[in-house]
Amino acid sequence: MAKQILSFTVNDEAVDVLVQPYMTLLDALREDLGLTGPKEGCGTGDCGACTVHLDGMPVASCLVLALQARGRSVRTIEGLARAGELHPLQDAFVRHGVPQCGFCIPGVLMAAAAVLAETPKPSEEEIRYGIAGNLCRCTGYTKMIAAISEAAQGAQR
Amino acid sequence: MSVMKTTRDVRGVGLSIPRPDGPEKVTGHVQYVADIKPKGLLHAKLLRSPHAHARIVKIDVRKARALPGVRAVLTAADIPELKRKAPTRAHAVLAIDRAVFAGQPVAAVAADEVAIAEEALDLIEVEYEVLKAAVDPLASMKPGAPPVADVGTEADTSEALAHSAVAMAKSEEATGKGVNVSQTAHVKRGDVAKGFAESDVVLEHTYRVPMVHQGYLEPHAVLAEWDTTGQLTLWASTQGSFNTRSEVADVLGIDENRIKVIPVECGGGFGGKIRALCEPITALLARATKRPVRYVMTRREELEAGMPAPQVIIRLKTGIKRDGTLMALEAETVLETGAFSGTVLAVAAVFLGSLYRWPAFDIKGSEVLTHKPSVAAYRAPAAPQTIFAIDSQMEHLAREIGADPAEFRARHLSRPGEPMVNNQPWASMGAHEVLARAVEHPIWKKRAEWKTSGGNGHGLRGTGLSLGGWLGGLQPTGATVKLNPDGTLAVLTGQVDIAGTNIALAQIAASAYGVDIEKVKITTGDTDVAPVTGLSAGSKTIYTVGVAVMQAAQDARQQTLAVAASELEAAVQDLEIVDGRVIVRGMPDKGVTLASIGKKGNLYMSKVQPVLGTARPAFTQQAPAFAAQLARIELDPDTGEVKLHDFVIVQDVGKAINPLAVEGQMQGGAVQSLGIALTEALDYDAEGRLRNPSLLDYRKLTAADLPNLETIIVEVPSPAGPFGARGVGEPPIVPAPACIANAIHDATGRRLTELPLTPERIALALLDH
Repeated sequence: MAKQILSFTVNDEAVDVLVQPYMTLLDALREDLGLTGPKEGCGTGDCGACTVHLDGMPVASCLVLALQARGRSVRTIEGLARAGELHPLQDAFVRHGVPQCGFCIPGVLMAAAAVLAETPKPSEEEIRYGIAGNLCRCTGYTKMIAAISEAAQGAQR
Repeated sequence: MSVMKTTRDVRGVGLSIPRPDGPEKVTGHVQYVADIKPKGLLHAKLLRSPHAHARIVKIDVRKARALPGVRAVLTAADIPELKRKAPTRAHAVLAIDRAVFAGQPVAAVAADEVAIAEEALDLIEVEYEVLKAAVDPLASMKPGAPPVADVGTEADTSEALAHSAVAMAKSEEATGKGVNVSQTAHVKRGDVAKGFAESDVVLEHTYRVPMVHQGYLEPHAVLAEWDTTGQLTLWASTQGSFNTRSEVADVLGIDENRIKVIPVECGGGFGGKIRALCEPITALLARATKRPVRYVMTRREELEAGMPAPQVIIRLKTGIKRDGTLMALEAETVLETGAFSGTVLAVAAVFLGSLYRWPAFDIKGSEVLTHKPSVAAYRAPAAPQTIFAIDSQMEHLAREIGADPAEFRARHLSRPGEPMVNNQPWASMGAHEVLARAVEHPIWKKRAEWKTSGGNGHGLRGTGLSLGGWLGGLQPTGATVKLNPDGTLAVLTGQVDIAGTNIALAQIAASAYGVDIEKVKITTGDTDVAPVTGLSAGSKTIYTVGVAVMQAAQDARQQTLAVAASELEAAVQDLEIVDGRVIVRGMPDKGVTLASIGKKGNLYMSKVQPVLGTARPAFTQQAPAFAAQLARIELDPDTGEVKLHDFVIVQDVGKAINPLAVEGQMQGGAVQSLGIALTEALDYDAEGRLRNPSLLDYRKLTAADLPNLETIIVEVPSPAGPFGARGVGEPPIVPAPACIANAIHDATGRRLTELPLTPERIALALLDH
């Protein structure tokens, strides 16, 4: 199969890259653009480790073909912090000691950022359902929920 | 190794300090194996047997080798190092002429792209003669069952030795009683028959816990590259780089000196990344192609051909007097180990026979081979399964005689100094203390109110309590602590940090030396530079490596003081370290900075020795650690669905070096345990094929399934651990299955003995009677 040009925006920068038509968005980001923050935990959309934002919506990038992102805007974990400052969610995750092995964290943070974008003052239940598509095996989620709640409250101030 | 107290006022042991690599992890910058892409990288894929048991009649790889972009195709015939009677899975790199589980690799490909490697797998033609498979472990023990191992293959007990450090007398019975029985153990004390005859209440249940997967989010991954001198470098996702080096060297038949293992960030292991799995074949592909080769398992491969926890079946019979006196216990434990030996039999016997004071017991254990993927450790191997049996049994016995279940446990719970089944004494432990704290909790005190609080509601409510723990692992280990020219400290070990142990080790160094944590940097070195360091497993990182770091820091402190003593013309015992300076006690003006001591050890023409503290402890004394858990549930009697309202973990950690990290361990372990209790099982069909090889069908708990988990830290200092610390990782995964079963018993009056406690099982149990 012939490679095709994919022109899209990644973390606010215009990017052109040659990809195979069968390539997933996750593989294009990781293998061709060197953005290895999104992780492949399952490749079947069940674990959420590959979550990125596509035009602001959280998607499992392992289930999206790279060429489906043509002309659209993608944000990965590498683009969550702005101007050298950690995003409030990232800062809260560090202070609450959330990351253990860390493999799920990029996906969880992108899912949580999407929750806060849609619901600035989420209830605990809304947070829990908002990240229910993200599996974590280390933390038991409790510190995650606390960190997301705190970041949401901080954002209101 | 006395219990050290933090006498100096430094920021170190006991503080909740976030791990310093947190910012790297939350920004996606931390690199795991699959993120590393050297020049010329090739991608590996394995062709796996679709059959649980089959003779390989013929393999034809010609079409695959001819595919453009394919750089190597290997079968067993291409690997002279391969031997029959492989004792471990790592040694069975590729199936030789017989596949012994569905998912066993039979051929390997390295290609320019993953897609090309996958296409090459499709082009490999394998002719199989399908054989009858031993799938059920109880049937597999019986004469006439299809044999799994080759005749003469030895049982592998290294896991038991490495992980649990429980010494057990070898069974007197000959192995090979059944064709697929690979290990047996038998311990007994007293007259069991008499005990049962004199009992008022005799209760017998058979408890079943299926194979479950450790569930780490990062699949197994390794990157291998040989240089032109024949040196192999492995970038590995491993829980122990030195162990990986030894196993790979043994399989490849080369000196350990020729292998460097670089422990890359490990995306979770929980016991599943101790033993070598895909490292040998990846190294062989790299050797065949003279290129770096990366192999990353898919999730499907992880579930079908990882190294899960064994299925455990325990027939447990117990007799007591009406007044609650324990009389006799009889147990038969079967651990299904899959296609290769490697389970831990001793742990089950210790908890069954001697967590509570049974005057007479007779416990038999068998490890049974089946045509399934071979098992490995999973966080407290065999303990959650065994505690599910004995704790459920204790709860049921208490209810049978109308005793308070918590008091009944406390009355019979062993104390330090009393004998375990192997007649060694229980070491110092806080089992009684965590139980006492749990029963003070409002959730336990108000269990009667909770049961009836449903009002007009439809749900049945119940409260569960359980108690379980871990005996504690041991392993010799080393560490160094050096003083830098600016007065900061550099700690070096080979310890793989998954859970946040490096920050705790740095805190130990800070307190033992006498500087603030901000002045301490800790590094995990590769196998070429780090002192020999044990596995990140068995809840022994802080307990053993913590001692090494503490002693190395004390050594560095003594060296520092010796240099200062000669500078200040004072006696070492009159010196102390305060605010980055060594001063004469009571004379704060008379001092020398740590930076100047560090500099002098690093100056051209200087005659001052550099400060380099070293330690290389070995250990003999385990530190058992226990957790009690409380659950408040509501279940729907029509659907059988359980909703978890509250969950509490009370755990003895000896000393919380870093309470933030300790809480994370307690919560994470509890949720894995709740998964074993409620949803998780590797589900095999009659031919030995996995029916649920995806995370959609292998159900792990999500944030939406759970309440917040309350943690209560109890500190009963261990005699030998650093600052009194005990292992933290294992205990929280142990009690929950029994805890939930006990809560269901409280809510419904039904005793469920088979995990997971699915809605279907619960609803069917409620239909009974």
